[in-house]
Amino acid sequence: MPVRNFSIIAHIDHGKSTLADRLLQATRAVSDREARDQLLDSMDLERERGITIKASAVTVNHHYDGEDYQLNFIDTPGHVDFAYEVSRALTACEGAVLVVDAAQGVEAQTVANAYLAVENNLELIPVVNKIDLPAADPDRVAMEIEQVLGLPAEDCIYCSAKTGQGIQELLDAICKRFESPRPSQIEQSRSLVFDSHYDDYRGVIVYVRNFDGGLKTGDRIRMMSTGRTWTITELGRYTPRPEKVKSLGHGEVGYLVAAIKTIDDVRVGDTITLELDPAEEPLPGYEEPQQMVFCDFYPATADGGSGKKGEFEALREAIEKLRLNDSSFTYEVQHSEALGFGFRCGFLGLLHMEIVQERLEREGGVEIVQTAPTVTYRVKTTSEETIEIHNPADLPDPSQIIDILEPIVKIEVICPEESIGELMRLCDGRRGEFRGQVYISDNRQMLTWEIPLAEIIYDFYDKLKSITRGYGTMDYELIDFRADRLSKVSILVNGEAVEALSLICHKNLAEQRSRSILKKLRKQIDRHQFEIALQAAIGGKIIARESIKAVRKNVTAKCYGGDVSRKRKLLEKQKAGKKRMKTVGSVNIPQEAFLSILEQNE
Amino acid sequence: MGSRIQLAQCTPDQAKVPDVEPGGISSFLAPTTPVEGLYVHVPFCRHRCHYCDFFTIAGREDAFDAYVDRLKSEIRASASCIQGPLQTVFIGGGTPTILPPKLLAEVLQEIRSALPVASDCEWSVEANPETVTPEIAAALADGGVTRVSLGAQSFQPERLKALERRHDPATVERSLQRLRSAGIDELSLDLIFAIPGQTLAQWESDLDIAVGLGIRHLSAYSLIYEQGTPLTRRRDRGEVAPIPEDLEAAMFEHAIRRLDAEGMRHYEVSNWAIPGSECRHNLLYWRNQDWWPIGPGASGHVQGIRWKNVPRLGLYLEGQGLPPVTRPEQLDEDGRIGEAFMMGLRLLQGIPVQRLESLLACGDRSGARRRAIEGHVADGHLIMDAVSLRFTPRGLMVADSIMVDLL
Ligand SMILES: Nc1nc2c(ncn2[C@@H]2O[C@H](COP(=O)(O)OP(=O)(O)OP(=O)(O)O)[C@@H](O)[C@H]2O)c(=O)[nH]1
Ligand code: SF4
Ligand SMILES: [Mg+2]
Repeated sequence: MPVRNFSIIAHIDHGKSTLADRLLQATRAVSDREARDQLLDSMDLERERGITIKASAVTVNHHYDGEDYQLNFIDTPGHVDFAYEVSRALTACEGAVLVVDAAQGVEAQTVANAYLAVENNLELIPVVNKIDLPAADPDRVAMEIEQVLGLPAEDCIYCSAKTGQGIQELLDAICKRFESPRPSQIEQSRSLVFDSHYDDYRGVIVYVRNFDGGLKTGDRIRMMSTGRTWTITELGRYTPRPEKVKSLGHGEVGYLVAAIKTIDDVRVGDTITLELDPAEEPLPGYEEPQQMVFCDFYPATADGGSGKKGEFEALREAIEKLRLNDSSFTYEVQHSEALGFGFRCGFLGLLHMEIVQERLEREGGVEIVQTAPTVTYRVKTTSEETIEIHNPADLPDPSQIIDILEPIVKIEVICPEESIGELMRLCDGRRGEFRGQVYISDNRQMLTWEIPLAEIIYDFYDKLKSITRGYGTMDYELIDFRADRLSKVSILVNGEAVEALSLICHKNLAEQRSRSILKKLRKQIDRHQFEIALQAAIGGKIIARESIKAVRKNVTAKCYGGDVSRKRKLLEKQKAGKKRMKTVGSVNIPQEAFLSILEQNE
Repeated sequence: MGSRIQLAQCTPDQAKVPDVEPGGISSFLAPTTPVEGLYVHVPFCRHRCHYCDFFTIAGREDAFDAYVDRLKSEIRASASCIQGPLQTVFIGGGTPTILPPKLLAEVLQEIRSALPVASDCEWSVEANPETVTPEIAAALADGGVTRVSLGAQSFQPERLKALERRHDPATVERSLQRLRSAGIDELSLDLIFAIPGQTLAQWESDLDIAVGLGIRHLSAYSLIYEQGTPLTRRRDRGEVAPIPEDLEAAMFEHAIRRLDAEGMRHYEVSNWAIPGSECRHNLLYWRNQDWWPIGPGASGHVQGIRWKNVPRLGLYLEGQGLPPVTRPEQLDEDGRIGEAFMMGLRLLQGIPVQRLESLLACGDRSGARRRAIEGHVADGHLIMDAVSLRFTPRGLMVADSIMVDLL
């Protein structure tokens, strides 16, 4: 049976998952009765947020031109944080369906994902989706696709993943326009691992795309990067129900189970070959994902961060378990004076960070205190070393620092013309360097800046959205590390520096930023029975200050009709709340305060 | 049943008493117990105020007859548990005076005939101004009521509206007159301060009006944003702005000064009285003495055990005799000591030294408590002398923060 392997790629929310639903329905893989929205988004979190986080691979059959085709396709995430999932998916395919919203047109991740596909030598089928919308303007969007991506407008397929219009035409085009898997280049068997996930009962489930030869149940396989071997106990495909098969033929996509206990035994991007007749060279893999954003997770303990063993261990277990399914975040044990034992974690981006936190709390049942995210800095020291720092608290003494380098990203923003002026001002204020401007359509442009990552990880995206009234979209990519006039700002509470609150910041912005942080802290810390001084300092120099006045009244004395237990419980709650704080000097700082520097509204 | 021995060992968490078992509490107590007070709960109101989290129901006038029958059955059943003499009877709510005069009289009569009431017993009833008709005043007086506490809350129509209280401020004075002419002299007003939108001047005027009415007792509570009330949800949604803490403090301080100048003694955090007119029933609470609860939602304390009748009207009406109770709670020694501090310090005369010494002598946290007390004495929040341990004026303002350390 001829095989077609492709991915569905698009800007976030342009309808990939819904289109995947229609493909499943149109090919009768899912009966109308079973159909539900975004069927492939199986994680609770995905369904709640309506976004795809993990790519998923499915197999369906389609009859075209007198022949039955096996279509293997991968629905991918659209959010920029998960670009790495997209590139993994693309290496397993010959083609990509590029979905563009007929009302919104080409957006930042449309461009970014299309380029990724082109870099991987994939055939592209542009699809203009959501043509049922009243605001749909498919012809204009097809022109944009031609203008920006160089794909002829007449090659676009118009469809609606909602009504099903155009789906048959798309299925036919997939069979006709995408290429078959390339013929085997060697006699030995080679399959690429493009994803994996952990199943409580069966161990690691490995998603593979075969390139040379094939695989069958009972085969003794070898992972080429580690040399470790296993025996395949099960092979199958998702249709989208898992369906066991005896073998995976040449060029096919499926999953395998081989009693693999931990996900660390499986490197995504690795090549699987046969133990008895191994290939000499692995298939080209892909780059490890790069963590861009770092923050600390601490257990939200009732004992004020003294780091009670039980809660820390529970957090460790939750992290280790989640890592089984998401190898794209990193973690290492961290100790903070203020918050006790926890983990410093690295993420692909802010959304990724948020999602990991939510999954830990939801699936791992732990409560987390998270510190403000920072980026990686490279510090050149007087001893001619370059050290990487993920935490301002780790900065060496200023006398040993020659330079602090920070990550620079290239951002591409697509936005309506009228917002350009205000966007320029936003980027200027964030130390961005303007790099260029491309015309997309009558009233939309694509602008490029180089800008420090640290300047966009907090609230840049929200600002962009509000300036463009929701129409602006953006993509970013790490390009460099550059030196700038950066320094460490310490936050002092009643004269004592609180490391967990310190930050690295550009000298010109330090004062303004410190002031806004102190203002937030002031709101977070309850009044005490004495006045509290809050200060920000660079080196020994105080650059901002605030104070919290002493408490004036904290007494409530209702009678509660003799319900004494009630009053006692209320006070006990106050007492427990007090414990959940970190005491610096004699000031109780609530754990949330450590996050308050997260949002920065200037 | 040997249950007393069991109890001595149980901590709140282990107390294995089903949440709802009619009469369950009697198996926990000695056959009869000396009880000083009686609290009767009447869980009905005309309208549910949005700040209120008491157990009370609006719009159930149809249930009044059945309710009073049921109360009487409970009063009779509790007779076998209570060894008097009762020094105080307190009928609270809700709004007890929402009951028709005839029913109110029946309740008072039942208590008097079924229970061992002392001859000089204090009989208090809570009332809302709009409910005090001449007939109600007469029913109370004829039933032997000696004291009425009137929920005036404020004299500013705008502030009453902010509280969702529906009476006309002028009814307060009229109600007091009716009660006096019926022969009830121990009259108290409840006021609320720190109401959204309230100014210091408005509060001063409320106090001026109150003292001008010739009352003998006054309770002034700051508005509390109780969890789960509509008011609190409105605050959380930003629709209602609590007044600034400094203003609230100034209001409290003003009340202390103003009432003192009027000869009303500040005897408990929120209560003032002309000497001799203190509420004896509430003093029972603060002194950790024993009282028996009647009616759904009422809480009691006997022999170191605290419990509450299940606050559900339907369930209550279905049964007879002693009602189902929620899980009784008996604190361990440390918990009881903490509670004694929490309640005792609310009285401005404080905890007498002998009692203080005995409290500090036992319990595993006695060292920690002693240190906390010394710290607060050094900070000027507490005074400890040959007479008692008590708050300083400054300490009183932050009493909750200090009690937390002694709990
Ligand atoms: N009217 C209309 N709505 C559509 C169509 N296709 C998708 N949608 C809606 O668009 C929204 C986003 O669809 P998804 O399929 O979740 O988009 P996605 O591209 O998978 O999103 P991510 O996985 O988050 O990148 C949903 O509310 C869909 O119901 C369409 O053809 N017409
Ligand atoms: S009148 Fe009193 S008990 Fe009734 S609802 Fe209002 S505040 Fe609550
Ligand atoms: Mg999706």
